[in-house]
Amino acid sequence: MDNSLKIATMKKSFGISLLYTVPMFLITFMFMTGGRPNFSDPSSALAVMSAFILVNILYFLMHYTGKTDKYRAVLFIIFALSLSFTLIRNMVAMRNSMSFSEADILECKIPFCHLVIPMMILPAAFTKSIIFPGSIIGGFANISSMVVLWLVATIVLGRGFCSWGCFYGGWDDGFSRMKKKPAIKKISGLWKWMPFAVLIMVALTAALTLMPTYCAWLCPFKAVTEFEQVTSVESAAKAGVFLTLFGGLVVVLPVMTRKRTQCSFLCPLGAVNTLSNKITPFTLKIDKNACSECYKCVEVCPLYAITREDIKSGNVSLFCSKCGKCVDACNKNAIHYGIKGIPPGTMKNFSRNLFLFVSFLFMAVFSAGSIISTLQNLLKLIF
Amino acid sequence: MKKLKIIAGISWAFIALILIIILFPGLNSFSVSVSKLPFMKINPRYTGGVVANQMITENCTLDIRKPVFDGLFRERNSGFVQIDWRGSMPENIKDSIDYDQDGNKDFYISVNRKASKTELVPLNEKVRNVVISTPTSYGWSARIGLLK
Repeated sequence: MDNSLKIATMKKSFGISLLYTVPMFLITFMFMTGGRPNFSDPSSALAVMSAFILVNILYFLMHYTGKTDKYRAVLFIIFALSLSFTLIRNMVAMRNSMSFSEADILECKIPFCHLVIPMMILPAAFTKSIIFPGSIIGGFANISSMVVLWLVATIVLGRGFCSWGCFYGGWDDGFSRMKKKPAIKKISGLWKWMPFAVLIMVALTAALTLMPTYCAWLCPFKAVTEFEQVTSVESAAKAGVFLTLFGGLVVVLPVMTRKRTQCSFLCPLGAVNTLSNKITPFTLKIDKNACSECYKCVEVCPLYAITREDIKSGNVSLFCSKCGKCVDACNKNAIHYGIKGIPPGTMKNFSRNLFLFVSFLFMAVFSAGSIISTLQNLLKLIF
Repeated sequence: MKKLKIIAGISWAFIALILIIILFPGLNSFSVSVSKLPFMKINPRYTGGVVANQMITENCTLDIRKPVFDGLFRERNSGFVQIDWRGSMPENIKDSIDYDQDGNKDFYISVNRKASKTELVPLNEKVRNVVISTPTSYGWSARIGLLK
């Protein structure tokens, strides 16, 4: 009886949930339609309306059911799939291939992504230039826009960027949900420090070679975006490495462990975002008075961010991406979204509402373009 | 102190909310501001460097860029010079290049565009090899490896 009362604390009535959805409804409407919906192209109008309805239903359900991760993951995975679809479609339309050529590099036509950022810093400081063959401003995925988007999101959400904004994270998040029970249960939590080693390695090698080494050699997501044309032994070796990493860390291990292994064990930007958790106003808090130490949160955490020791000490580690999986799993509502400065166990609803609005708004608007574009293309294929 | 912490935390959270709300409408102007920062330019290793000399013929322009030896702290011992042919070119391109503008030809290059074959004859001991030779959207580009 006591439990069911506590479960209900994050749930809201239909009317109240609807009321909470109104600001999201209005803002996403403005961003997706520019305030003036255009019905002259039916497929475009249908795509915009579908994306708009999807994000608002998901946001409504977060309030109505009190569950966060369940509905976040839907949009997060759709974002990852639609972005890859849009990117690959653009590449194939432009080049008839997912691969880019030497000419694309010479002409600085490579779309930029946030994973390059950790490698840019040292060369930018010493050479006053960016070591990436992309466009500084203008064009698709230009460097300035991506830097601004990542910087603001990472200040506001900290490592929350990895679960609410990263268009690659949805891939391993999706695969980590494919099996109900993990086949591999024990992986040492020490591996979660690996991204820091990767970060140091790629930052130094990129600085020494003036080449984004992670993109060139390691990034597994080239398998679902674009990659260097295989024309030599070196480019074939690079293709072998990224395909192996994608297969191992993004597909097989997440399915086997139910964890986001690429994000946990490889991503250098994840390491930077982990540090940025220090400055973000939002965090997860453990209400030790309500906690029964069942450790369900430890079990479900996809990023190895919570340990039994963390629960005992009442602090969630900096590795947390605020995905909400532990919050959904806790039937005592002991682990909850919080705001720094507010003591654990207090203002739970206020903190959750504010965090959800900020993080979901970022994801909804950031993902809208690629979701709408994907829907438009799918509609064109069907009709 | 406790109250002060709560007020500071909530204020910071509301600032975060405002930041996210203004982020997307202001993205273009924020990006333009960021693009004006002194380090926001592409490294010459990717752009090929600035055009140092231009030779214009009837149908085609030949750009000889400044040699690139960029390293993290100082220039490296090896680098490249990029040459770009723009416009409508013959199937076989043949040019003698003086990249350091000392009045002496440094290498002779011939490109068979149809066969994608490039031949280099160094006339200067600093000229090493063909690093890249590829068709581009504007014509043809080649990078020739150099020693400093």
